[in-house]
Amino acid sequence: MNLDDTVKLEIYGRLAETGTAPTAREVASALAIPPDEAMAAFARLHQRRLLVPEPGDPSRIRMAPPFSGIETPFRVRSGGIVYHANCVWDALGIPAALHRDAVVEARDGHTGEPMTLEVRERRPLATPCVIHFAVPAARWWADIVHT
Amino acid sequence: MLLFRSEENVDAWCRERTLPRRPLVSLDQLWRLALTWYENRLTVESRRPAPSEMVSIFAAIGLTGAFWDPAADNWG
Repeated sequence: MNLDDTVKLEIYGRLAETGTAPTAREVASALAIPPDEAMAAFARLHQRRLLVPEPGDPSRIRMAPPFSGIETPFRVRSGGIVYHANCVWDALGIPAALHRDAVVEARDGHTGEPMTLEVRERRPLATPCVIHFAVPAARWWADIVHT
Repeated sequence: MLLFRSEENVDAWCRERTLPRRPLVSLDQLWRLALTWYENRLTVESRRPAPSEMVSIFAAIGLTGAFWDPAADNWG
């Protein structure tokens, strides 16, 4: 396995276990590699759209989709751990990635009313809702934080 | 993309921002996208679908047209 894949698995493994994104220094320490090698791997994983660094600090992770490195309005509870997702798609992506049941706490995009989605036995429970895609696919990565 | 309780709330959100209403996706459609994108995300083989693959992934759940084409430069 190459370094980038090793770093990817460390990042995603840490996120799955704790709900928290590791820094490049923490990844370097866990893998016993120099911090600059971990930073370089972060940059290559960004090019592959497997992570988004924190703006202004490439040693920190803003997104490792479907996980968010920061708190967001999309909170996902699963296996006793609280995760944050980047959007409603990613909120469902977390139970899909974990292969576990989950409860998603979100809010109506217009009214702010709390809404709950639940994934149980690999399916979302029927819930009155719709998802609006405001940005076309060709523009998703032009500003992925906004998307 | 945002979650709404109803289509009426989507329309109100668009009106407030003078934005056009774009496609709506159901919870079941979104779940299928979540599975396709992320089901193996914790494995070494995981990768983001290539743009050429996305069009057929979206089409398979009924999402067609330039809006869903990552290579489109005119989505109407």
